[in-house]
Amino acid sequence: MEAITAYQPKYKIRLVTAASLFDGHDAAINIMRRILQSSGAEIIHLGHNRSVQEIVDAAIQEDVQGIAITSYQGGHLEFFKYMYDLLQEKGSGHIKIFGGGGGTILPHEVAELQSYGIARIYSPDDGRQLGLQGMINDLLAKCDFPVGQNLNGELNTFRLREGRSIARMISAIENYPEANRDWLDQLQQEIAGKIIPVLGITGTGGAGKSSLVDELLRRFLLDFTDKTIAIVSVDPSKRKTGGALLGDRIRMNAASNSRVYMRSLATRQSNLALSRYVADAVNILKAAGFDLIILETSGIGQSDTEIVDHSDVSLYVMTPEYGAATQLEKIDMIDFADVIAINKFDKRGALDALRDVKKQYQRAHQLWQKPVEEMPVFGTIASQFNDPGMNRLYQKVIEVLVEKTGANLPSDFQAGAEVSEKVYIIPPQRSRYLSEIAESNRAYERWVERQTDTARQLFALHTTINFLRTQTKTPIPNSLQGLKTTTNPGIAPGTFL
Amino acid sequence: MHLEPSCKKILTEWAAQKAAYAADEYVYTVRSKEIRVPTFTTSLSHTRIPRVALPKYQDWGEILRWVLRENVPGKFPYTAGVFPFKRQEEDPTRMFAGEGGPERTNRRFHYVSVDMPANRLSTAFDSVTLYGEDPDYRPDIYGKVGNSGVSICCLDDAKKLYSGFDLCDPRTSVSMTINGPAATIVAFFMHAAIDQQCEQYIRRNGLEPVVEAKLAEVYDQRGLPRPRYHGEIPPGNDGLGLMLLGLTGDQVLPTEAYTSLKAKALNAVRGTVQADILKEDQAQNTCIFSTEFALKLMGDVQEYFVQNQVRNFYSVSISGYHIAEAGANPISQLAFTLSNGFTFVEYYLSRGMHIDDFAPNLSFFFSNGVDPEYAVIGRVARRIWAKAMKEKYGANERSQMLKYHIQTSGRSLHAQEIDFNDIRTTLQALYAIYDNCNSLHTNAYDEAITTPTEESVRRAMAIQLIINKELGLAKNENPLQGAFIIEELTDLVEEAVLAEFDRISERGGVLGAMETMYQRGKIQEESLYYETRKHSGDYPIIGVNTFLSKEGSLTIVPSEVIRATPEEKEAQIQTLQNLQTAQAEFGPKALQRLQQVAISNGNIFAELMETAKYCSLGEITHALYAVGGQYRRNM
Repeated sequence: MEAITAYQPKYKIRLVTAASLFDGHDAAINIMRRILQSSGAEIIHLGHNRSVQEIVDAAIQEDVQGIAITSYQGGHLEFFKYMYDLLQEKGSGHIKIFGGGGGTILPHEVAELQSYGIARIYSPDDGRQLGLQGMINDLLAKCDFPVGQNLNGELNTFRLREGRSIARMISAIENYPEANRDWLDQLQQEIAGKIIPVLGITGTGGAGKSSLVDELLRRFLLDFTDKTIAIVSVDPSKRKTGGALLGDRIRMNAASNSRVYMRSLATRQSNLALSRYVADAVNILKAAGFDLIILETSGIGQSDTEIVDHSDVSLYVMTPEYGAATQLEKIDMIDFADVIAINKFDKRGALDALRDVKKQYQRAHQLWQKPVEEMPVFGTIASQFNDPGMNRLYQKVIEVLVEKTGANLPSDFQAGAEVSEKVYIIPPQRSRYLSEIAESNRAYERWVERQTDTARQLFALHTTINFLRTQTKTPIPNSLQGLKTTTNPGIAPGTFL
Repeated sequence: MHLEPSCKKILTEWAAQKAAYAADEYVYTVRSKEIRVPTFTTSLSHTRIPRVALPKYQDWGEILRWVLRENVPGKFPYTAGVFPFKRQEEDPTRMFAGEGGPERTNRRFHYVSVDMPANRLSTAFDSVTLYGEDPDYRPDIYGKVGNSGVSICCLDDAKKLYSGFDLCDPRTSVSMTINGPAATIVAFFMHAAIDQQCEQYIRRNGLEPVVEAKLAEVYDQRGLPRPRYHGEIPPGNDGLGLMLLGLTGDQVLPTEAYTSLKAKALNAVRGTVQADILKEDQAQNTCIFSTEFALKLMGDVQEYFVQNQVRNFYSVSISGYHIAEAGANPISQLAFTLSNGFTFVEYYLSRGMHIDDFAPNLSFFFSNGVDPEYAVIGRVARRIWAKAMKEKYGANERSQMLKYHIQTSGRSLHAQEIDFNDIRTTLQALYAIYDNCNSLHTNAYDEAITTPTEESVRRAMAIQLIINKELGLAKNENPLQGAFIIEELTDLVEEAVLAEFDRISERGGVLGAMETMYQRGKIQEESLYYETRKHSGDYPIIGVNTFLSKEGSLTIVPSEVIRATPEEKEAQIQTLQNLQTAQAEFGPKALQRLQQVAISNGNIFAELMETAKYCSLGEITHALYAVGGQYRRNM
């Protein structure tokens, strides 16, 4: 098949990708999202088993042009139609829906869905005719329309924390910054003097930052039953393709809540940790009246201090795996962060890391008057449910937010004094079990070979003795005489001869 | 030169061993029962075909090596099989069903079980149930209710599903393909069995009026409809299990009687639940709880089984099938599956259970494709397991025996030239039967495009029957032993699996490797390798990428597929709503107790056995989310 080149979009295309509700088949959507991204699109991937409500909310909050879904578990007619209806109902009928489900979606069902308003359902035959890139190009071409060129009443509705309007305003600033300066300047004046705390979170890649944010969010929603929260999550754009994988939402379980607004932004400039328009986005969210804003940035290592300029309180997330203690002196964020989380606290050397980071924090912040134990550094295991370290971290973060900004966040949250301790499924001293099994099985085979050799030699001697006795008149030499009894393991002479 | 006594004994007994297999009948004991079986069959040509053929080796070294590494079926290291002979009375044929509501599936079970001496019921659940949720009018849920599996959301559903089958009869065995919410479904199943025992007791003792009075009190007097079996009860269903719909035995029987009936039922039920959460995270994605909580639940189930002497119900089916379906090659399938199995072993041991109390309750489930390694997958699995159990864990013989189910590979079936699929399935079934699998499911040829029809399922069953009943060589039960290539392949695959154990071990064991998505990554890599070779034609697939028909071997599209009817969906939602109304008082309290047990680190399954009487699957799932954490998806 001829290689098809990727479609060149005129506008920045943002898409939500996911697999249908109660559907774990994510192989196809994973391939599709990769090609979409390498063709220059910004992808908000939600993963498998997502409800229509979750997908539609994400699509609206993220202000995407399209949704791409795979459905292999049946119920696709209801699923796609419901998605279409819900988008219409929420005034976001412009978001196009694409789907695929191999042979599970029958040809007449494809026709039914497309006439209902689904942009396109790709069939296996489409796949053969168009090829993968061909299908992706078709999808991208249908989504290549501008977003946020003109506002249409959003400024009147966004103060009700209405997701669609907020999303569109952020897009307007992101895509058409010059044309939208005026109202933004007005908003800035409007929010001056208002106390809306911004928590900045940054950290190294692979530190488990999104899980940690999800765990903070979960606790916030339980702690405050009427407060609202917005999250801005920034991930890098790929310099080569312009595409981006905005991968925070897939880890978020708590974000599907009417009190939460979440927006993923691509940096669109590959050398920056923060999108140029992040400050504007935060201001829009402040004006919308959220009670707390979390700003999370991609971990590109040791120069993330930019986040400090955009937040009131900053949290740095790292792991115990940073190498020697001297490496800590190079991490700028230790100097700037208000609170530090050492996540994946079940990793080796965690307690040493906690001590070293606390010391470095004390040095960097010149807190000599306080005992080093009291430095705001917490060991956490965000992947562990109800982790005591996460509880303490959450409590501290809210405390510092109130302390530094005077925000109205009266927390009732109770955290114990315990330290994060991994609840091990397999005890650490047993972690080599598989190698032990391999060793034990191989030892058995070596033993079999040794015993087999012995048995074979005994058999050879046994045969020789029998031969000498029965076939020749030669007397059995003395050297073999003594072996006679040992070579016969109770088997009647001649059994095998 | 020192020959160890055990080896000396082997050589000493060899002649007698050979004689025993040469006699007309072979005598052995299972659970202190003497079993006599004929050792041969006679062909049309009057040739005596031995059921187990022994080598003609004379050299003590060869004999010893053969016994220590191969041995006859039923003896350590069980390379050729875990039982001395295949069971004659029971074909390893499972009756697979799951569609619509419990009634439709129950009718289907009875239809396929007509005239069968044993009832081996295999249950497929709809995706709503697989993800631990309840049926609902919400369209994205509604569309999936009762599709590609049966909708089960409460105890009454389970009672209806298996009604008319005596769940405590040793000839009935039930397999349930469910993982995330497995513990809850098992609790429903156990109560269905317990209440069948209660029902029989009630009839024996003429206590029907007590039941009637209770039903009147709980339902009629409150103006609620009594739960019922919708539609006609099919032929073959004697109604067992339906008397106590809407009630549980303890509401109508004295505590003492109920307790003893419950104990009896738990002791008697036979079956398997898949419940393998490790392979879900690695390959199939029907995880609902955080992995640690899910493992804790599995441990609780197993502990409860040990404490209550649930001996004939396998608490987990450690599955490679889905790993292979996701694209893993046979070596990875076997290595990941066995390593998952040993992980359960280590976890259960760390909780203080004794190896011999749970290892016999573990069973395995593999896929058979057409790759050469599949010829020996059972041999390698049995040998690795037996050696590890004996040498490493000091386990007894029952624990050393690895029992496994085979399903022919769904992934090897194609949507082009679908008639050819039966040929692939036949070859895979032949691999499985020659390798002495303990049970086998042969896929229908049209499974690649649709839900199988009665006709295609019948053909799939015929594949097994033709091999077992007609194929002469299959009258012999160890046809693979002694072939050079089989011995070579066994050694190669065994070493490859052990090498993979070492690689997983370097990553901190199975759970450590899962954290960095090692298994997922490897499966995806192998899948891509296959797809690339298939696409380029380097890997020939007849009627798909080569040997195409004149028309080009187009993809076959089914005209219509079986779907659940609106009436069935409606009935399921009604059942749920009735349950919630009837249990408005007890339900929420039961859920609170369940959460309390989870928080205080008690045995959650023991409490679930209570909760399951009053609450729906979805209610239980959500209550547990709040105390155990939801699964967090990976990229």
